[in-house]
Amino acid sequence: MAPTLPSGDQASDQDNWDNGRLAHKRQLLTEIVLRNRLTALVVDGDTTCRVLEQLLLRSYGVQTQGVDNGRDAVALIASGVKFNLIIIDMILPVLNGLEATRQIRDMGVHCKMLGVTACSGESERQAFLAAGVDVFIEKPLDPEHLVPILRELDGQ
Amino acid sequence: MDLAALKTQLKNFVQSMFEEGVLDNQFSQIQALQDSTNPNFVEEVITLFCNDAERIINEINRNLGYQNVDFSNLDSYVHQLKGSSSSIGANRLKLACANLRQASDERNKEGCLQALQLITCEYCLLRRKFQALLHLERSIVELETNQK
Repeated sequence: MAPTLPSGDQASDQDNWDNGRLAHKRQLLTEIVLRNRLTALVVDGDTTCRVLEQLLLRSYGVQTQGVDNGRDAVALIASGVKFNLIIIDMILPVLNGLEATRQIRDMGVHCKMLGVTACSGESERQAFLAAGVDVFIEKPLDPEHLVPILRELDGQ
Repeated sequence: MDLAALKTQLKNFVQSMFEEGVLDNQFSQIQALQDSTNPNFVEEVITLFCNDAERIINEINRNLGYQNVDFSNLDSYVHQLKGSSSSIGANRLKLACANLRQASDERNKEGCLQALQLITCEYCLLRRKFQALLHLERSIVELETNQK
């Protein structure tokens, strides 16, 4: 089916101002993060989510690595690679996010771990926190959640 | 149509998708990530999402075709689709996934089938609108290139 386009109204000046403000905020934070060269591991079985989360982190100057299952995440950490931040989904192929988180913590890894998941129930939240994530975030991972965490890591 | 008019049309088209609830603010975050170092980022992400979404919807359809539905397997697919829908800002599709999740939790096959029908409708609507959006973006890029 050929795409059809609806007629539109005039764009608002508010939109332009908001976009400019967002770009300015990101630039400030990039300067801060770059000074400290933060690194992050993104563990998500869904390609779209993983790509978006990695690019969001990179837009703030964070170096990222991505894996698509819990077993590879545990293996990477066990190999000695260190990260300032781990972002991990709850439902993962091969080894689920809860178990992967427990195994990572059992290795003595104390870095900040964010559980970023489509699960939204209170029992799931409690289970993920009990497994060892520091923060539970319902997807999507957005700047409002991420920026304070990056500032905290940058200040350490 | 000139470049400025095309850009206005694109902006208005995206705005209409927000107003209809097809997209939410998360899509604005994705647009903000597109810059000179990632000039085709929006198109790449939309393509990635649509490929994944179609694969997942087909898998859900296949799972629900069995007499004995493996609901835990179904759960993981629904989770994945809800997650990627949330991440790209596909608001109505994300909400439709919540319906399927609930029906799956209740082990209600008929409910799952109805929810899947809604998901399929919402996805088809989203895909049509994304195709129109990308058509506009490509037209803009072509005009900008010709003007250089």
